[in-house]
Amino acid sequence: MREPGPIGAMTRRELLAMIGRTAGGAAMYQAMAGLGLAPETSYAGPVQLDAAPPGASVLVLGAGIAGMVAALELRDAGYRVQVLEYNARPGGRNWTLRGGDRYTELGGDAQECRFDPGLYINPGPWRLPYHHYGMLSYCKRLGVALEPFNQINYNAYLHNSKAFGGKPQRLRTVRADYHGHVAELLAKVVRQGVLEQSVSAEDRERLLESLRAWGALDKDFRYVQGPESSDRRGWAVHPGGGLSGTPVPSEPVALSELLRSNLWTALMMGDVYDMQPSIFQPVGGMGRVGEAFGRELGGLIRYNARVIRIDQDERGVSVTYEDAAAGNARQTARADWCVCTIPLSILGQIPIQVGGPMLEAIAACPYAAAVKVGLQFKRRFWEEDEQIYGGITYTDLPIETIGYPNHGFFGSGKGVLLGAYCFGPDATAFTAMAPEERVAKAVEYGAEIHPQYAAEFDSGVAVAWHRSPFTMGCFGNWSEAARAQHFRALCEIDGRIVLAGEHASDLPAWQEGALTSALDAIQRLHRRALAAGAKA
Amino acid sequence: MSRAAILHGGRRAGSTAAALLAALALGIAPAHADRSGARHATAVVASTGESLYRSICQGCHMPDGRGAAGAGLYPALAGDAALASTEFVALTLLQGRRNMPAFGGPPDPDPFFNPNPPALNDEQIAAVVNYVRTHFGNRFKGSISAAQVQALRASLPAR
Repeated sequence: MREPGPIGAMTRRELLAMIGRTAGGAAMYQAMAGLGLAPETSYAGPVQLDAAPPGASVLVLGAGIAGMVAALELRDAGYRVQVLEYNARPGGRNWTLRGGDRYTELGGDAQECRFDPGLYINPGPWRLPYHHYGMLSYCKRLGVALEPFNQINYNAYLHNSKAFGGKPQRLRTVRADYHGHVAELLAKVVRQGVLEQSVSAEDRERLLESLRAWGALDKDFRYVQGPESSDRRGWAVHPGGGLSGTPVPSEPVALSELLRSNLWTALMMGDVYDMQPSIFQPVGGMGRVGEAFGRELGGLIRYNARVIRIDQDERGVSVTYEDAAAGNARQTARADWCVCTIPLSILGQIPIQVGGPMLEAIAACPYAAAVKVGLQFKRRFWEEDEQIYGGITYTDLPIETIGYPNHGFFGSGKGVLLGAYCFGPDATAFTAMAPEERVAKAVEYGAEIHPQYAAEFDSGVAVAWHRSPFTMGCFGNWSEAARAQHFRALCEIDGRIVLAGEHASDLPAWQEGALTSALDAIQRLHRRALAAGAKA
Repeated sequence: MSRAAILHGGRRAGSTAAALLAALALGIAPAHADRSGARHATAVVASTGESLYRSICQGCHMPDGRGAAGAGLYPALAGDAALASTEFVALTLLQGRRNMPAFGGPPDPDPFFNPNPPALNDEQIAAVVNYVRTHFGNRFKGSISAAQVQALRASLPAR
């Protein structure tokens, strides 16, 4: 890659700005990618819509991330915009539960969150990777403050209830021992000359040195108890000052035990593209994003509106809804165009006047299960007793995940953990429980990892996404086959209606997928509106 | 591995064990090891229609089988005339229907993260079908056998 600096007489910034002005955001983005400044993503910088046709209007269904991004940009382009939202709040799955919040799930079970001020859980999305440019860009525009989210914490645990006597292992030691043993084995093979076909004589020494460095091997290329390995996995007695600070190396776990523990399966979590540092979270909870969009859009959003019918003809779109704030009175909203972000789990039940291919696509997407449980404890024992500051523990127990708060470190009051975050069969089982049983089970399982749970538990709140009245599931779980068959028909404009949301993206379950889906949809819709001319 | 999967961040160590523990916690017998030795992340082995309903179905159709209504509906099983057909119910379980996921498997081979629902075998599908048709006030005649479910499953296009 070229070094940053002037390109000829222009700086890169000037060049990109010029390309952006003359050829649009997409071209600027391509130029950025060509200069090695941006990896591939579909967010192409702030969307630039020309002026809307005079008097043109758009109805947006759903005030989640996709709907509110669409509404904001279309409003700014000059469209008359109205948003209909089922909930009494903006955000959709962008949502934070804080003390005093009430949540009633399908079936009628109501919970009141009793967390202390400043403490929360995000039942839905909780992290913003550094390359989700769209989300980060809107956070900046809307003044949503961000702080680091620790995906990787070397001092958090990997836990298999059937390995190491059920004792959780620090990520640090599992990682060091896995790398060390693999490096030792590979070094052995290289020194035996087995790889002569693949590694030239001159590369051989470099490879051996790299294995020594990577795996923390000793001078004889062994991964053994000693200063090299302890410098990675930690010491039995840590180095310190004076006469009492003589370090004692710790003993690595044997390769066979490590392999049989299966803990290596979770080692690559932080290597996955969407999990690589840096990752961010909004200060005060992910819901701050939806709240900021809601403030920005103000009176454009009509809350408590349950859409029950979507019609269109050659002149416009007509949406029938029940107004829960007015005794479920039926109302009709009309506009020239419609951006519909209602989850397919619900849209599939609403009569909608679109063609066969889109109808088939809407009906072809099952929704994935997921459950999150937030647990408040009387003190931050994970910090005080175990030196775990943020990050994630992974376990084979049905809770699957324990997430430690990435804010409020060293606080002396109560603290809230994400006590369960599970999917698939585990989430299905948790969903079938009543909320208080989910909380009790999360406490019971979590106590196997943190025995302090029993004495320190204070209160909890549990969200099972299939019980959510506004999504009836967590995210669109397209099979590869169904996606291949239906995705295009799902996304193409049908008359005056276009769909958007994470379900209409190749980045399912991520807010960035919802956001880029909305930008893609409104740019196409805008072109169609311009082609249709003024007041269509 | 499905992309949706890792995204949400649920990958973890040893989910086979997790599935087993979930099953044990719910009083369901643990899964047998897959004969092929393949990773078998989601199997829930034989159980009664009632225990399967209580640990899976009631998440959406509710403990009393009456469904629920929010922005959309979970249909009631109580008094649903469509349940007159054993095949309709069995096919719905095997293939899913609209937003309802398929419970006919195959088990997700991904040991790290599994966003898909539990995969039920022929006996379990039959047990659930027979249970929902004869409870919640339902008194539909007839029943379906595991062999009939197997035949239905064989008639489906490969997924």
